Amino acid sequence: MNSSAFRDLLILVLIGAAILIGGYFIVKQIGKSDLDLSYQVSYEQEEKLGNLFKDIVWDQYPTVKDNTADSSLQKIKARLVNALDTSYYRYDFSIIKSSDINAFTIPGGNIFVFSELLKMAETPEEVAAVLAHEIGHAEKRHVVSKLIKELSATAILSVLSGGDPSVLAQILKSIVGSSFDRKQEEEADQFALALLEKANISPKNLAKFFQRLNEKNLDYDRNLEIIMSHPHNDKRIERARRYKTKNDFKALPFDIDWKKVQESL
Amino acid sequence: MEFHPLPQPEEIVEREKEDAMGAYLMMFAAVAVGLPLPIINLIAAIVYYFVNRKKSRFIHFHCLQSLLSNIPTTVINWGLVIWGINIFFTDRELTDYFWAYAVFAGLCTLLYFVISIIAAFKARQGKMYYFLFFGKISYEVAFRVSEEDSLTNTDPINKPPF
Repeated sequence: MNSSAFRDLLILVLIGAAILIGGYFIVKQIGKSDLDLSYQVSYEQEEKLGNLFKDIVWDQYPTVKDNTADSSLQKIKARLVNALDTSYYRYDFSIIKSSDINAFTIPGGNIFVFSELLKMAETPEEVAAVLAHEIGHAEKRHVVSKLIKELSATAILSVLSGGDPSVLAQILKSIVGSSFDRKQEEEADQFALALLEKANISPKNLAKFFQRLNEKNLDYDRNLEIIMSHPHNDKRIERARRYKTKNDFKALPFDIDWKKVQESL
Repeated sequence: MEFHPLPQPEEIVEREKEDAMGAYLMMFAAVAVGLPLPIINLIAAIVYYFVNRKKSRFIHFHCLQSLLSNIPTTVINWGLVIWGINIFFTDRELTDYFWAYAVFAGLCTLLYFVISIIAAFKARQGKMYYFLFFGKISYEVAFRVSEEDSLTNTDPINKPPF
């Protein structure tokens, strides 16, 4: 092989390396865009959107107005929100009466938890873990970026200026019906674990809750994880269990009669 | 190093041009079949090379160039398939590195397709078309005057009657 062939080979390797590095930056650009995307909708606009959606959720879903359950939820919320360093949101937690085990976040820091989830959780600390996860979605602006990805910022903001009302219903459907991607779920988990520690709630409660979810889905095919957006519960349990708290961490139990709360639902 | 003179387009018969072009076009059919397992196109290129290489130096060059340039593309795509299978069965995560490699493999394959189409057109016109690196290697293999050629030249089997 002569020297010009070697030179050609070097050029080919360099072209290949350039494509590979370029590919990495393209992927990084696409992957990191959650926060970048969400900046297309300001916090003020998000709050207005949240108020619009909150009314629709209250119209479409029966909510639990019981004082015992609601005041307990507010106690959990207070502990979590106080542990947040800074936040643009004024968090609002509500209970929806439903036999599904679910919780979801709509724009503006409005979080809805289903009554069945409260029945399934054995302690208020487990509910706090789920809510910390939902706060993570809000703080990381996953809700807004998901909406922008699915519908575009223009379509979302059009509802604020009295645009097509069908878009509003479509947006809500998108919020409740679709899941976050895997990266977002992992980010929310990490956020929740750190927040729980700050709020003097053992992060292991997230693992306990996922463990219970797992028990409810015994025939879940683990190999299907790759095609599902939600990371498998086993992995999330493992991560939550492995989470290292500071040496001086001390869990403070909630002053809530959980059995009484569950009976009230 | 001595080389056989390059044939000019008017000296190459139509059949040779078609066979040379086929070395590149055959890849597309093979790729369509072999997409999930990108070994099929490499096997097809090897078979095509061994079937056609002795027909003429022009065909030999194009078949070899097609075959050699196919090797890195196949290796890169195999890397992607193996990585993907590994992720699927070991429950690992689809990292940014994986997606970057997927973009890289996709672009390399696209680039390979484009230069193969150009080469196929050139071959059909009876022209040489040299890929970076692989063109030089293929030219050297197909057109270099070997010892065997020298012996054949000095002692031909068929000789003129006078």
